[in-house]
Amino acid sequence: MRSRLLITLLLLLFGLPFGLLGLLAVGEHWRFPAALPPAYSLDALRSLLAADNDLLLGLGRSLLLAGTVALLATAGGFGLARAITRSRWATRWEAASYLPYALPPVLLAVLIQPFVIRLHLSGSVGGVLLGLLLVALPFATLLLRSFWSAQITEYEHLARTLGCTPRQAMRRVLLPLAGPLLRTTLVQTFLLSWFDFGLTNVLSVGKVHTLTVQVFAYVGEANAQLAAVASLLLLLPPAVLLLLNKSALLRKP
Amino acid sequence: MSDVPFRSGRSLLASRSLLALYGLLVVGLPLAGLAYALLGSVGLAGPLAAGFTGRYWQALGTDKDLLYAALYSGWVAGASVGISTALALLLVLRAQPTLRRWPLPGLLYVPLLMPSLVVGFYLFQLLSRTGWLSRISFRLGLIPRLESFPELVQDGAGIGIILAHVLLTFPFFTLLFRAIYQETRLDEYRQLTLTLGASRGQFRRRVAGPVLLRRAAPTLLLSFIATLGAYDIPLLLGRPYPQMLSVYIATRLQRFDLRELPAAYLAGFLVAAGLLGLISLLLRLIRQTQVR
Repeated sequence: MRSRLLITLLLLLFGLPFGLLGLLAVGEHWRFPAALPPAYSLDALRSLLAADNDLLLGLGRSLLLAGTVALLATAGGFGLARAITRSRWATRWEAASYLPYALPPVLLAVLIQPFVIRLHLSGSVGGVLLGLLLVALPFATLLLRSFWSAQITEYEHLARTLGCTPRQAMRRVLLPLAGPLLRTTLVQTFLLSWFDFGLTNVLSVGKVHTLTVQVFAYVGEANAQLAAVASLLLLLPPAVLLLLNKSALLRKP
Repeated sequence: MSDVPFRSGRSLLASRSLLALYGLLVVGLPLAGLAYALLGSVGLAGPLAAGFTGRYWQALGTDKDLLYAALYSGWVAGASVGISTALALLLVLRAQPTLRRWPLPGLLYVPLLMPSLVVGFYLFQLLSRTGWLSRISFRLGLIPRLESFPELVQDGAGIGIILAHVLLTFPFFTLLFRAIYQETRLDEYRQLTLTLGASRGQFRRRVAGPVLLRRAAPTLLLSFIATLGAYDIPLLLGRPYPQMLSVYIATRLQRFDLRELPAAYLAGFLVAAGLLGLISLLLRLIRQTQVR
């Protein structure tokens, strides 16, 4: 009985956001004190299919940005984790990797903004990409550090002794072994970038309209319907990733 | 390392160049930003730099806004992490069999896929005076008018902000505690303590609770630091005064009055330095846990 009550309570707690956002997305002229919308319409969702729809463009922009950050951070982090493991100052490099990851993204954006302006990247996708990489790259490096153990080095040596070139050892031995951890890193760095609002908003000066920036803009315009549609779009990729691999969401460096 | 035989001079050079670039990005850029903020706070950098001045630092003694923002952030972070930890401990220690039942194992992952901005927007729509709960209360006759609904968002105590953070973190803490519970074989310790005559309550208070909290301490502290610097949720659910640290600094930097910049740089520098101090404490804690 108590167990059922707890399950119902948690189902309600975690299901309610989807229910309320769904109602807001399809509800028309829903004003206080009505407890439910007087009319329902799929117009806001249907308009997503129009080619010049702002939300659709925002979705594409966010996907492209988060995908690029995830790919660059994972690939870079893999090489950097190896270089750090082999370095004489591995512990110091590891401690240094916590630096940008330790500061809140908005504070980091505020600190680096003068240099982003000098590089003429302020308000551009390039500036946002640099800011996001500054957080995602050390995160990926720390996460992938655990892969480069003594055992992996021995596997690599074995492959080389048996005649593999460095490239073959990487392609045929190391990458397949690192596969699960690389997938986890891709997922986590993608989400890190996908969820970001503060850093993007500060560095883009509101000019790079990712989905999170759009949600905030719609909230500011008191357009709850479009804010709800954008919020539901934001929940979509993480939900797909959760269905595919939930353990990838939990691992911490 | 013992892998020297297979390392050519070229790969060593590539490795060093890669690390140098990495150092420039992850250490150089934030530290340069920190130095710029420090110089800006003494009038040596920034658009209106006019030579050294200590007046912005002296003004710290009279300007209490930064102190209030820090105290407010500390309160919100402490309350959020405290409530989340208590809830997660309660679930793991008192409802262990239920946590294994469908659909809870999957359900606890759901908040991990919610961006904090979306949670902020959702709670605003749910808890504000024109929100869903207020509408339902009004329809049910529980409140006679709009103003009778309690102020749960954009309130002075930060209830809305705390609730949002609890909603996001307590499921994660539950998953973490459950993993530690299994990893440290606490179930076997439970059998042992019960055999030795302890009660279930004593096992929870004296064995399981301390073990879970000690093992999870670095993550709990990390969550505290992350909440301390939270931006999205307090921006939506907070008041213009008092503000949380990140919102306070970002707002001051984005004002049109450029004369405000040195004070904003000073706030940014102090907060960043404080957080880095906390992180170094965290790293020491992690190392101690590993040694144990």
